[in-house]
Parts: sequence; structure tokens; C-alpha cells
Amino acid sequence: MTAITIRGLWTRKLRAGLTALAVLLGVMMISGTYVFTDTINHSFDRIFETANKGVDIKVVPHKTIDTEKVQQPPFSESLLRRVESARGVAKASGGVNDIATIFDKNGKRLNKGGAPALMFSASPQPFNPLTYSAGHAPGNASEVTLDKSTADKHGLKVGDTVRIGGKVPARRYRISGLAKFGDVTQFGGATMAIFTLPEAQRISQKRGQLDEIDVAVAKGASTRQVTAELRGLLPRTLEVKTGAQDAKDQANDIQKNLSFLNTLLLAFAGIALFVGAFIIFNTFSITVAQRTTEFGLLRTMGASRRQIMRSVIVEALIIGLGASIVGLFAGILMAKGITALFKSFSIDLPSQGTVVLGRTVIVSLLVGTIVTVVAGLSPARRATRVPPLAALRHDVMPTGRAGRRRTVLATVLTALGVVLVAIGLFAASGAGGVLGLMALGAIAIFIGVALLSSRLVAPIASALGWPLEKLRGLTGRLARENTERNPSRTAVTAAALMIGLALVTFVTVLAAGLRASINDTVDKNFAGDLVLSNQDNFSPIPAAAGRAVARVPGVAAVSPINASSGKVKGVSGTTSVQGLDPKTFTKVWKPDVKKGPASVIDTLGPRDAVLVDDWAKSNHFSVGDRLAIETPLAKTIVLTVRGTIGNNGGLFSSVSGNYGTVKREFHQPDDANDLIKTAPGANVKTVQARINSLLDARFPIVKSQNQQQFKDDFQKQVDQILYLVYALLSLSIIVSLFGIVNTLVLSIHERTRELGMMRAIGTSRRQVRRIVRYESLITAMIGGVLGLAVGLLLGAMTTVALKDQGFTLQIPVVSLLIFLVVAGIAGVLAAIPPARRASRLNVLEALAYE
Amino acid sequence: MQQTGSAALRATPTNTASSPMVSATDLWRRYGEGEAEVDAVAGVTVEFRCSEFSAIMGPSGSGKSTLMHCLAGLDKPTSGSVEINGIEITTLDDNDLTELRRQKIGFIFQAFNLLPVLTAEENIVLPLTIAGQEVDRQWVEHLIGVVGLGDRRTHRPSELSGGQQQRVAIARALVTRPAVVFADEPTGNLDSSASEDVLNLLREAVDQFKQTVVMVTHDAEAASSGDRLVVLRDGKICRDAPMAQVEDAHELMKVSAA
Repeated sequence: MTAITIRGLWTRKLRAGLTALAVLLGVMMISGTYVFTDTINHSFDRIFETANKGVDIKVVPHKTIDTEKVQQPPFSESLLRRVESARGVAKASGGVNDIATIFDKNGKRLNKGGAPALMFSASPQPFNPLTYSAGHAPGNASEVTLDKSTADKHGLKVGDTVRIGGKVPARRYRISGLAKFGDVTQFGGATMAIFTLPEAQRISQKRGQLDEIDVAVAKGASTRQVTAELRGLLPRTLEVKTGAQDAKDQANDIQKNLSFLNTLLLAFAGIALFVGAFIIFNTFSITVAQRTTEFGLLRTMGASRRQIMRSVIVEALIIGLGASIVGLFAGILMAKGITALFKSFSIDLPSQGTVVLGRTVIVSLLVGTIVTVVAGLSPARRATRVPPLAALRHDVMPTGRAGRRRTVLATVLTALGVVLVAIGLFAASGAGGVLGLMALGAIAIFIGVALLSSRLVAPIASALGWPLEKLRGLTGRLARENTERNPSRTAVTAAALMIGLALVTFVTVLAAGLRASINDTVDKNFAGDLVLSNQDNFSPIPAAAGRAVARVPGVAAVSPINASSGKVKGVSGTTSVQGLDPKTFTKVWKPDVKKGPASVIDTLGPRDAVLVDDWAKSNHFSVGDRLAIETPLAKTIVLTVRGTIGNNGGLFSSVSGNYGTVKREFHQPDDANDLIKTAPGANVKTVQARINSLLDARFPIVKSQNQQQFKDDFQKQVDQILYLVYALLSLSIIVSLFGIVNTLVLSIHERTRELGMMRAIGTSRRQVRRIVRYESLITAMIGGVLGLAVGLLLGAMTTVALKDQGFTLQIPVVSLLIFLVVAGIAGVLAAIPPARRASRLNVLEALAYE
Repeated sequence: MQQTGSAALRATPTNTASSPMVSATDLWRRYGEGEAEVDAVAGVTVEFRCSEFSAIMGPSGSGKSTLMHCLAGLDKPTSGSVEINGIEITTLDDNDLTELRRQKIGFIFQAFNLLPVLTAEENIVLPLTIAGQEVDRQWVEHLIGVVGLGDRRTHRPSELSGGQQQRVAIARALVTRPAVVFADEPTGNLDSSASEDVLNLLREAVDQFKQTVVMVTHDAEAASSGDRLVVLRDGKICRDAPMAQVEDAHELMKVSAA
């Protein structure tokens, strides 16, 4: 029986191949994602191992709260002497690290997008992780060493000068040397600037302070003993650990921050596989129907239902496993593609070598195979219902017009999906719960609509086919009729495309809502004229920049905002905290005060807090309550809730405190943004020009934006994310196109004799191709229309749920029309191979075809 | 619909009774190679004249179907020539053959081969629609009347009996007023009374509309309604005579049983 199955598969290799492709692409994405993230993780391991090469013991501040917003507070340099004097310490050296941006001659940043601009102090042997390929370590305060790959990329040589800006005004340095970080060649776009310790301290405003101490243990002394000794000598705020442990911790921190990438990519892989499952189901349904006679024959000759079932499942198993194996290898290649994709969206990550873990192999093979077999189950069961008599009657299995039971089931499933999404949006708490329920709901909606859509095919096809019929007459008419012949087949084919398009529509509607909300907030609440932010849009800016700008003529007020994180008692996870300056904030911003006095921010004391209204509600805080927050300095402070504000545009942190409190208690020396109000009567343009020339000269990392520039910039950021999501969703859409090709090829196969007759009575090849093309176009448009509808529904629901953050429902008509056109074009492209096949049919053979 | 094809195909047919509508000269069709080589048609020369109803008979494997396929341009002969209405068709490319089928040839198949998605009437005018030609309403109404489908014109093939379907197919074959109608076992799937209807219709087409009909059949009854009998054996014509000269039904039975 299995031999027959395999033989059968071979004779239908094209169909088997196309089906396999649907699985293959999803598996490729899974394996590619794993290889991609594993390679990055491995690269970070290597980077930090290199950094701690000669370090036996490391002294660093205790990390209590770990988010990107928190800067670890440095400690006093005087502790170095204590370490040096400890027993068993051969050598100890202090270092600082921070960020500092390198600029080329034209004042452009050398690091692009989100890649970090690292800065650290040169360390002596044996701690030095650098290998110099030219020149030497910085010898004085006006020298710097750059990493070789950055220098090579920008044509910089030893002896050249570059401008570098940290937290103090930028200045020029002579390049004293070029170095490599151990044997790590790929650093993922990060730039490195290495200074002498005093200069590094000056640039990072850590005079007399250190971020870490490297320790080498004397010969004969035990690392464990020295560690214990140091722990006793040093304050509790410092952590003493082995160099290896520190490397592991640092790598872990970064890997934890990047783990969302893994989840994100796997989610898109899952979507592609889900779409693939539709295609597998459809292809198996069609082939099983076409092989009715064959199954009847096997039954006549004594095959049991079980054997028939098994033969179809074995077929699915072979296709699934084969596709998964190829997909696994394709994914290993694809990992490079993902790296390039992220790089093109300015997310540059280090990737050295290719890491393929056992888990990657197992998950890829298992998921691909299981999805295929599960999708093949229902068609396999249908195959068992073929009676032996079918062999004699030469009949084709009734594919079953959507029965009432199925329609009811589909309606219930769709409704259930909508309810699940609604619960997720309006009732669930925690990002995981919301996303989980929404995903589950979306899956239910997709399956429900797919089942339901066999009823929708005829009306939609009539509406869409009408212009084709008017314009093209018979070919259009036949194409439309062909899509309606087997509605459930067309429905499932279209549904596969629907999924991708629905998600594309969903994110587009959401992005439009977000844009509108930001624009609205800037128009309504932003009372200032200019904003200072980091060139990369998210890193902090030196507080000195704001102070300098405040002295520019024409500037009436500068209101600094700083940001950090803390752990609020009674609330899980970390909570974002920001500091507002009560003296200036309401000059630049009209807060939307919900509870408490209207002047709540003007009177915000050092131990007062204002909460975002939503956050306060969901965590049950009200005005007058006390809020205990653990700060990054491992201290708990108590704030009194004075009021709540609306979070228009989602720009506010959950907790707003006093600027000075966040600066001192949370150790946040830098500002997130500074908002600027110009003096009455001053020309904003002139003032901005003055500010810009000041920033260029002293704080090149800071940029100023007026309201419109701020809006445009935000829009650009939203668009970037949107395009990345489009790129990731395009895989699902490609998978669904294979579905269209597959269905068309199979349908044409069924209609071979009909095509033969058509050709015999004078239909030209071109006309045959046209019929197939229009059929594909109509199917694709059905998928497009359904996808747009479902996507709009999901988008509208989410927008309503985010109303409090100022989201308004925007229907991006132009984008939606473009999606429909793209779906149509995709349909026409998918029709090319089947149309060729149909037009090349030999008329005589087609007529003789049974 | 686009209009393709060479001008030669649009030449007005010369409908004089004596000129051949279809002719084959030293026609060969070879299948397979080496040991398996078979000459399905082995040097056939034959002419079919205007408004002549010819029946091609022969035992299975005699090459009668292959001969018809070559005459109709569905199959390419290995050598020899075929002319339809004065046009040499063996050298035509696919586009010209398509045009030839639109203008000059009507087909009737054993398996009816109607488009299931179209109504009876739409199936009848299908060749005109495909060719993008204007429908001669009077002619179509007349045909529908002749084949007796006036009350069934809006039915789809699945709602028609086999005989009715074949009558639709006959009307479809006649609708373009082709130079020749090829009928391939037109009664093969029908019971005797439906077969009689179909044969009467073909007869009528020849008598009333001066239609040339070439019919392949192995049914002696069917063949006897023709004007002329061509018998094929091993790819060669072994008998070619007016039906009137065929002595009796007995001889026909012998041919079909052989």
C-alpha cells in the first residue's frame, strides 16, 4: 500500500511539489529565525567573553532594575585602592563605559540607526581585550582609538582627526590607533571609541568615578577566596563576580532584550505555516476528489477504509517531512537574508558564523510535518467514504456544497473569534494575555470566514466578474463561472490570501490610528515650539544641552524630561517613570488632567507623582494613595499620588515624578527630551537656526525639531516598522500565491477534456490563457476583499480599545486600494504557469482524456 | 475577442457541388519508433465533396479516427497533404489552425462536450462568441427550432438528456455554417431513439443547408444514413462507394463486425 502511495506521489510530482512548497516556506522561516537569533546570541557570547578575557574577577554596580532606560550608577574611584590592597589581588584596574558618538568631516554620525555608539576607557594588560592592527592605545586626552571596521568603512586612518561627542560638548581627537575586539569581526554596526581613563571620565561626566573594576588574581591565590574577600571589603551596592560570570550576565542581558525578535519572527513563521495549512488542506481535498475512481478501485480490490486513510496520511507525511527537510536547509540560508533585511531597516546585529542547534532541526521538522499531516486529516477521512462502486461509475466525489451545519459552525466560529478578540482588547490585562487572546480570536475568525466564504464566493465573484464580463465577454464570463463551480475550493484558496492581506490591513489601520493620535496630541497638547531629542530618536541626550539652549536668545523656556524605570510595590514587572520639571512643564505642554487639581503638575513636589489614568485604574491607585517605588539605586522611595492624566499619543510614562527626584533617586543624569517654548514675538525659524548652530558646535548628537518635523519624524518611524512588518508578511502572501497556482493547476487538470473541446471549436491559446488568468484574478480579488474586511474589523476593534491613548479610526483608503491592486497583480502572476499549461494542452489528448 | 489568422482563411468558400470540400493526398500518419512503429494512416487519398454525407467505417485500430483527426487539423500527418476548402492545412501554425476551426470546421463528439457552466443556447453560439463574431439571430433561432430545443434553451447541460445534449452539440457545430462538420461517433453514447434523432438531424443539415458532413462510426445503422461509405482497414481505404451501391445492410454489418 505504501509503495502504491509513493508511486502515486511520483506520478503527481508537480502537485506534490507545489503542496510541499507551501509547507517549505513556513518551515524555512522557523529554521531561519532560530539560526538568525542563535547566531546573534552566540556572537554576543563571544563578544563579552573577549571583553573579559584577562579578567579573573569583576566589580560592577548591583543591577536591580534592568531596562534600557536605566543607567547603572557609577561608584567612587577611591574604592579601587581598597581592591588593590586586598589580599591575593595581583592587579586591578578601573574603567568607565558609556556612549559617545563619532562624527565624520561633514558632521554625520558614523553609526547608523539603532546600532550603539560605544565608548570605553583603555585598560592595561592583562585586561586589554583589544588587538591593535595599527598605531597604539590613546596616550593622552586628545587621542582616541577606533575599532578597525568602523575606520575601514569610513576611510579613517591613524593620524586623522574625528569629532566625538559624549555628555559634554563635542571636541576633536587624533586617531592614535585602530583596534579589533579580540577576533570578533562582525560587531553589528556598532562604533567603538577608546579613550584614556581621565578623558573617558570627563566625556561621560564621571569624574572620580568608575563603572567597573577588573581584577587579576595573584599566582597561587584562589579566585573564590579573593572574591569573598572583596565582597567583605566593598559596599553592598557593588557586585563582585568572576569575569566569566560577568560575560555571561552581560550577554544574557542583551539576549533577553533581543528575545522579542525571536518571538516576533516565529509569529510570522507561524502565520506563514497557518496559510500553508490552508493550501495543504485544499490540495489534498482536490486530489482526493479527483482520485475517487482510484480509491473506489482500491476498495473493489479489497482495500479497507483504514488502508485508504493510511495511504493519504502517508502521502501527507512524506510531503510534510520532505518539505520540512528542504525548509530546514533553506532556513539556514535564509538567516543571512533576515540579517540583511534587518540591516536594511537599520537594525544591525552582530552575526558571526552560522549556529544551527539541535532544537532548530527538531522543531522545524516536527512542526512542518505535523502541520501537513493535520491539514491532510479531513481530506483523508473523506477519501475513506468513497464506496467501491465509485470505481465503476467513474463519478467524481461530491465535494459537498456548504451544508447548513457547516454554515452554522462557521458563523459560530467567526462570532467566537470576534468575542475572543474583544475580550483580549477590553478585558484582558498584561501584554501576553491581550496578544494571546487576540491571536486565538484572529485564528478563529480566519477559519470561520474561510468556511463561510464558500457561500460568499458566488456573490463576490459575480460582483467582481461583472466588469470583466462587460469588458471581455465570454472569457470573463467563463472565468467567473469557473470560480463558482466549486465554491469551497475557491473559498479556501482565496482564504489563504485573505489571511496575509487581513494582517497587512490590520497593521496599516493601526499605524494610521497611531499617526493620527500623535498628530492630534502634538496639535492639541504641545504648547511649545521645538523639541530636542537624540539623533537616533530614542537614546537620552546630555542635560547640558538643554541648559545651553535655555540661554539662546529668543528661547522663553526649556522644560527637560528625563526617563527611568522602577519597581512599584504591588505591580508586577518594571514600571516606566519619567521626571517633569514643575516650573516649566505646563509652559510647553497642556496636560490632560483627569483627576486632581488642574495645576497638579505645576505643584509637583519631590515626593509627588502623577499617574497615567489608565495605568492608575488598572492597578487600582487613586489620588492620595502612596506609591512605593524601588529605584535603580536599590532604594525604595515613597511618592504620593496627586492626580492622573490622559496619555494622549502614548507619550507619557506610567508614573510621572519630579525631574530632580528622577535625576537623583533614579540616577538619571541625562534627559530623554527637552521641550522648548520660544519668546512671544520671536521667529521660531530664527530661534531654531540659532539653536541648531549651538547644537552642531557643542552637542552634535542632539537635534531640534519643530512641531511639523516632530510629526514627520514620528511618521517615518511608524512607517519603518510598518514596512518591516510588510516584508515579514510578504512570505505568507507568497505562500498563498502558491495556493492559487496549485488550485488552478488542479482545476485545469479536471477540465482537460473541456479545454480540448474549446480548442477544437476555435478557442485560441491566448483565449485559454486569458480565461485562466481572469479566474485567478477573481480568486485573488475575493481573497483581497475578504482580507480587507477582516483586517478593517480587527483594526477598528483595536483602535476603539486604544481610544484612551488618542487612537482614532483612520481608514487608509489609498493604502487599501493599493493592497487590492497588488492582490490582483499577484493573482495575475500566479496564473502564469497554470495558464501556460492550459494553453499548451494537446487538443487530441485532451479530448481523449478521461 | 481578437481576430487572428491569415486572410487566406477568410476566402469565400467555393460552394460548387463538384469541387472537393475536404481532400487528402497520400496521407501518412506514423506512430512510435523502431519495433513499435505503426502506420495508423498509410497512404490515404480521398476527397469529400460539398453537401455530401460520408460515413467512415472500419474495425477498431483501422485508423478511421486518426484519419479524421488529420483531416480536421487536430493531428499532424507524418506526410501528405490535407486541403480544406482549398486551403492546405498541414503547414498552418497554431494560430492559423485555431482560425481555421473557427471559420471552416464544426465538431460533434461522442461525449457531447458541452460547457457545463453555460446554457443550451449559450453553448450553441459558443463558437461565434469565441470568435467574436456577430450572432445571426435568425439563423440561431432557425437552428434551435430544427434541433427542437425551443423550450430548453435556458437549461444547463446537466439538466438535459444525452440526446438533447447531442442536439445542442449539432446546433453548435452548424452555427458557424462551416465548410465541413466532423462527427466522431456521434451516436456512441446514445440509445437507439436518440441516435435516430441525431442522424436525422445530420441528414437534414446535408439536405437542407447543403452541409458537408464527415462521420466516423462503427455503427452500421448510423452509417446507412450517409450518402457514401468509406471503409478503412490497416490504415488504407479498402472500399469507397456511394451508399446506394452498398448491396444491403448485411454487407454493412460485416464491415462493422470485422
